[in-house]
Amino acid sequence: MQTTTQDTPAFIKVRGLKKSYSETIQVLKGLDLDMYPGDRIVVIGPSGGGKSTLLRCVMGLENIDEGTIEVDGKPYIKGQGRTEKNAIDHTIQKQVGMVFQHYTLFPHLTILQNLTLAPVKSRGIPRSQAEEKARGLLKRLGLADKADAQPSQLSGGQKQRVAIARALMLSPELMLFDEVTSALDPELVNEVESVMMQLADQHMPMMIVTHDMWFAKNIATRVVFCAGGVVVEDGTPEQIFSNPKEQRTRDFLEKILHTENAA
Amino acid sequence: MSYNVNFLFLLDYWDALLEGLMTTLGITGLCLILGLGLGFVVALLRLSSNPVVKAVTTLYVEFFRGTPVLIQLFWIFFCLPLILGFEISNFVSAVIALTLYMGAIVSETFRSSLRAIEKDQMDACVALGIGGFTKIFYVILPQAILRAIPTLLSNSVSLFKESALVSAVGMSDLMYIGQNISSVTFKPVEMLTAVAVIYFLIAFPLTRSVSWVERKLIHKIAL
Ligand SMILES: Nc1ncnc2c1ncn2[C@@H]1O[C@H](COP(=O)(O)OP(=O)(O)O)[C@@H](O)[C@H]1O
Ligand SMILES: [Mg+2]
Repeated sequence: MQTTTQDTPAFIKVRGLKKSYSETIQVLKGLDLDMYPGDRIVVIGPSGGGKSTLLRCVMGLENIDEGTIEVDGKPYIKGQGRTEKNAIDHTIQKQVGMVFQHYTLFPHLTILQNLTLAPVKSRGIPRSQAEEKARGLLKRLGLADKADAQPSQLSGGQKQRVAIARALMLSPELMLFDEVTSALDPELVNEVESVMMQLADQHMPMMIVTHDMWFAKNIATRVVFCAGGVVVEDGTPEQIFSNPKEQRTRDFLEKILHTENAA
Repeated sequence: MSYNVNFLFLLDYWDALLEGLMTTLGITGLCLILGLGLGFVVALLRLSSNPVVKAVTTLYVEFFRGTPVLIQLFWIFFCLPLILGFEISNFVSAVIALTLYMGAIVSETFRSSLRAIEKDQMDACVALGIGGFTKIFYVILPQAILRAIPTLLSNSVSLFKESALVSAVGMSDLMYIGQNISSVTFKPVEMLTAVAVIYFLIAFPLTRSVSWVERKLIHKIAL
């Protein structure tokens, strides 16, 4: 653990998080994680290790079996057993935004409508104000001319930037990114990653799952190696990538860097 | 063969046929509108968590899909009045029967298009804090309806063809007029052929347009 952050109160505090999708198979097995103010956490790990599940739990998309998630010291989600509904604070949930691997834009709405639907219809923000903000965001992300296009007319990279803009419309305090470049053609990855770098420059707290180790090194303040439903190792990018303590982390990095070099 | 095929006499009856066609189109249009509304409501009710609502609507759909429309029509026209104690006109019987039939098949169409909306879309709604009314009316229903359009077109063609059954309770639709003319003129071959061709000329372009509409929609919104 980083000694410098020990006495600062955690921004996100995950304790004993357990999640199973069926009675027999537990995916998260009592996961603990602290995110401090200013942290940008990149979660790496083998496929099936529970990275997506972790992010989905933080978003409140999954009903957790056991454990708690706190935000700024306030209870956010509390598991009350596998078959019982979570206690969840929806006010805190509204401060979390998420971007998914497969864009999940609303296919029947224009880009502008995709951005304004939630603010206008669910948050009661005046349409003119929401549209102004949306156009501003689209411009910043290089999509000014796409406001009236349909999602189907966009490239994958553009769709993913729209998905990021859509989440930013709600001024989140924490952004979750689950393999947002994995479905993209290689030449489109950069335009999405550079938007995320922009957000990093503006000190947006982020939790990112990615297989792009180069990007992870650049954007992370902390790297979390997650496997088998727990956090195996947690440290600075320099420490994790050049001097991992755990054998499992070493094996994973060796394998992934090997395949990257081969490709 | 002593039967002389001659289509020219049809020219004398074109106005009667046209009138029959208008009746057919009118009753199809009316039952189409009523059936779409009914089917839509039933599709939503079948998603209900209330077991009674679910059971009743499921029974309705399965029953009307699983029995001949002709029997449904006869039952409403001949049997229902015995129970209710008053007559039901042939027009009202026809409208009720075809609407119930259309409602049943259309509700299945809506149901599968609702089910086809990816869980992704629901996740996006949660992540954006979109719930309740907004989620149903701005996210789910528009997509379900767009997805349903091609199949609804096929359903409408089926309704148009099934509507010929209303002649069996004396509605003077295209089929009924055709039968009458053929028995007056003793020209069943020409008459039934002509009537079939008229049905075909209307149904065929609609059927063909289904795949065209499908392609357009897929292109536009990439379902
Ligand atoms: N909706 C689901 N239903 C059942 N099993 C699931 C579901 N989502 C994920 N899993 C399982 O949970 C495990 C962890 O998945 P996931 O969190 O997606 O891992 P990762 O993102 O690290 O690849 C996998 O074995 C996966 O098959
Ligand atoms: Mg994953």
